Amino acid sequence: MSEQELEVVKPEHRVHGVDHAAFPTFNPAATVRFYRDILKFPVVHSICAAGWGPEDHPDFIHFFFDIGNDDRIAFFYYFGLEPFGDQSAPGDAWARLTPDTPLFFKNSRHLAIHVNDEEDLLEYRKRLDASEWPVEMQVTHETIESIYTHDPNGYMVEITRSLRPVTPEEDFDAVLTIDALVDVFEAGEPTLDALLTRKAELIVARAEQWESAQLPIRDSELIP
Amino acid sequence: MTARLFVLKTPENQGVVDVAEGDPSISVVPVGPYFSISAPSTIVIDRRATGCRHAVWYSAVAGLDQSVITQHDKDALRVEAR
Repeated sequence: MSEQELEVVKPEHRVHGVDHAAFPTFNPAATVRFYRDILKFPVVHSICAAGWGPEDHPDFIHFFFDIGNDDRIAFFYYFGLEPFGDQSAPGDAWARLTPDTPLFFKNSRHLAIHVNDEEDLLEYRKRLDASEWPVEMQVTHETIESIYTHDPNGYMVEITRSLRPVTPEEDFDAVLTIDALVDVFEAGEPTLDALLTRKAELIVARAEQWESAQLPIRDSELIP
Repeated sequence: MTARLFVLKTPENQGVVDVAEGDPSISVVPVGPYFSISAPSTIVIDRRATGCRHAVWYSAVAGLDQSVITQHDKDALRVEAR
């Protein structure tokens, strides 16, 4: 076999989860209490930096907590920097929105951290409920169960577990939904009605593709 | 005109499919990983009969073929030919 033939072909999808997701904080003490002391997420990295090039850049600390799976949540604390915007308006440390912004929109941006089972979900509920940041909501959405709170910076944090694995049918459906969404959005009239109408066309057009993709699995299942 | 909607085959959607299959005016046939649920002009599914809770009930419809949802609330899903 030639060297070329031995070359491993890398998959198209090569990423491995979240390296880190970073957020600003104006209260590093409360942030450390919430993530390190209450949730018990280990501090795994931090950078102390005197400015960052431009003259007006404040000195800062960039610090990281382990959220499992080698993934990390990170914060920036800028020395001497005061929060921006109207602090009574809905929002968080990163941004304040206009006063009429609905709550569902504010909470749409959040971080969801995965746990494996109910015991672990309830353990984090217990830790939060004993803190200044108790669980605000525990919801079972049939296929997932989640708890929610806001961290000291106003960022919504969800801790979630799956009640069952996502099925191949749901993966197939997600592809069709997103294709239909892009189609109706680009057509200029994005509504749920238009999306479901477009999706019905895609369901009919791609049913055969689904059926043929299932055949090899069914055949292999017949092998004792 | 025929009213037709699609529902994805998932364990949680089975209640919707069961109620449709129990209605002699409604025809249920598989299409890929979906069920095609159709009736001569109107399909009405009673929510309580399906046993579906909030999130599943309001996300059960996967597609609308020449049809429109005229009711989708805590009581029923009504789909009519467009």
